[in-house]
Amino acid sequence: MNRIIKSDYLARVEGEGGIMIEIKDGTVAKVHVRIFEAPRFFEAFLRGRPYQDVIDFTSRICGICPVAYQMSSVHAIEKIFKVAVSPPVRALRRLLYCGEWIASHALHMYLLQGLDFYGFDSAWSGREYREIAKQGLRLKKIGNAILAVLGGRPVHPVSVRVGGFFSMPSRKTLASLLPELEKAFEESLKAIAWTAALDFKDYSPDAEFISLCSSEEYPMNEGRIMSTNGLDVTFEEFLAAVQEHQVDYATALHAAIMREGIAVTYLVGPLSRLNLNHERLPSGIRSAVTAAGVSLPIRNIRMAIIARAIEISYAFHEAIRIIQDYEQPEKACESFEPSAGAAAWATEAPRGTLIHRYELDEKGCVIAATIIPPTSQNLAQMEKDIAAFAGRHMAKPTDYIRREAEKIVRGYDPCISCSTHAMIVDSSRGSAI
Amino acid sequence: MKRQRIGIFKLASCDGCQLAVLNLNEELFDLAELYDIAYFREALNRSPLKQYDIALVEGSVTTERQKKEIIEIRERARFLMTIGACATAGGIQALRNWANLAEFKRQVYPSPELISVLPTSTPVSEHVYIDYELWGCPVDAEALSETLVSLMVGRRPGIPIYSLCMDCKIKGIPCVLVSQGDPCLGPVTRAGCGALCPSFGRGCFGCFGPKEGANIDALMHRFEDLKMARKDAVLLMDKMNTYAYRRTRLEQDH
Repeated sequence: MNRIIKSDYLARVEGEGGIMIEIKDGTVAKVHVRIFEAPRFFEAFLRGRPYQDVIDFTSRICGICPVAYQMSSVHAIEKIFKVAVSPPVRALRRLLYCGEWIASHALHMYLLQGLDFYGFDSAWSGREYREIAKQGLRLKKIGNAILAVLGGRPVHPVSVRVGGFFSMPSRKTLASLLPELEKAFEESLKAIAWTAALDFKDYSPDAEFISLCSSEEYPMNEGRIMSTNGLDVTFEEFLAAVQEHQVDYATALHAAIMREGIAVTYLVGPLSRLNLNHERLPSGIRSAVTAAGVSLPIRNIRMAIIARAIEISYAFHEAIRIIQDYEQPEKACESFEPSAGAAAWATEAPRGTLIHRYELDEKGCVIAATIIPPTSQNLAQMEKDIAAFAGRHMAKPTDYIRREAEKIVRGYDPCISCSTHAMIVDSSRGSAI
Repeated sequence: MKRQRIGIFKLASCDGCQLAVLNLNEELFDLAELYDIAYFREALNRSPLKQYDIALVEGSVTTERQKKEIIEIRERARFLMTIGACATAGGIQALRNWANLAEFKRQVYPSPELISVLPTSTPVSEHVYIDYELWGCPVDAEALSETLVSLMVGRRPGIPIYSLCMDCKIKGIPCVLVSQGDPCLGPVTRAGCGALCPSFGRGCFGCFGPKEGANIDALMHRFEDLKMARKDAVLLMDKMNTYAYRRTRLEQDH
């Protein structure tokens, strides 16, 4: 029997998208994750703008992960200008990211994906869910508080600049966050157990997981790009190997890496980070993971909620460590001279590896910009997962397949307003790694 | 008493202003008690209704589909309020209003012919009548909750209409323009952020848009005194509220 299964407008994801599954002659003929978010042309209007605008503008691509955009862009620009930031600046940028990971992951776990396991349509619809949601909002609030202390506000913070920050908080101001953070860390360990006890359908697709990796620490702002299949490259090498192509049903481009002439889909995000970096988690968190009965690596995308819970715990732990070690430096910013050049940089957004590349002129104004958000990198893999699911459950009712397909998409935590800001494909791209 | 129904809608935007609703934290549950949150795609899986008491709209109008959508939202809403710089002033994507769209498409998409959008990004108020607007990139969560509570009890929301400079004076923040010689849009910009940038020692870059009756040209002259080229001075306004600043400046000329 031929049929088309459609979800016109996905709920509880960031941005505007839908799903179309076509079943024809007993096989899954097509799966489209439709992206109809209106394009906003960031890479185009960045041209000619001075370097500080790059930080403030790219932040506006996503209200949920503005710090990620600020971090990828500021590091790329600093690489062009050859600016080395001081250790306290490096630490506070990591702290800023902790705030964003906590706020974004808590939003997704408790207000978006978590409901799929309970069958409510929103966090405030079911009385039984209210206490769980409130706990999530408490965690999220502390993430927001970190963002506000360092950047003035949780959405589009204002303090990041080339060379450091516009100003840095006193030790006392930061230390005032500690009691709440310590309480939240304890709560977050319990949250790992909560997510691990949810009811997951057994499903482990074959996927290549890609993330930043560094030998020192769990990755945020630095490292090399590695994969579970042995990939180990610099940002530039990775960018050269990523091929993006345009499809007629989405305003976002799809990405794949070229290997021996074949386009390989891959997956970025918390699951990838965890699978590649779990050995660098503090022992307290590792034992909570083991106690919750979680075995690593995790290959089931629906279980990404566990990875988010683990990362929230890590972010609290790391925030406490950074604040305890912090001494306010004399200057918040290194001095530098703008210079012409080009550079790529990637950092770990809550949803995965976010790559920026800029070419600047001698005044530091943009000649060309390339942005590859995590969600465009995951789109092809997302479609593959849905196709595999629909293939196994073809005999089930349409409603069931639609609902489960929506859950798969939600598991990826897609950020659709990010994903519509993709890059130009030029002839030099597509070299094999 | 029957709770009033709120619908939260999105056009072209970053979702950051809708997030202000979720950033009410525990207050979110109070909001859900006071009002029936009937439509909110980002956080609620429910189909649209025929009628809303209040519609909150995030995002600007940039496609034919959004042009139809905003008319439909207006027809269904008793009270329509824009939230944030995109809905209120066209947002940062209105920078394309001063550029060539075909060129922009080519710069971002390998097959530009597949991308169908309007040549401009415009505020909701250019398409339908609006009852209230909240400025900001992003809106302030407290201003949003103040407005929703005011609507419920029938009073005027306590949202400041003075310039950002007032907030610096109230908070005792040294003037970055006078003391550091840094260009700052504070004198022509609405208060609403609590003078965030000056509190970090940087000049305001206009998240909350032009204050009514702002004398923009006078500020531009002041920037030129700082040895800034006219072109660069004007560029300072071409950000998240570009369309509104440019319009305020034009209106002043007449």
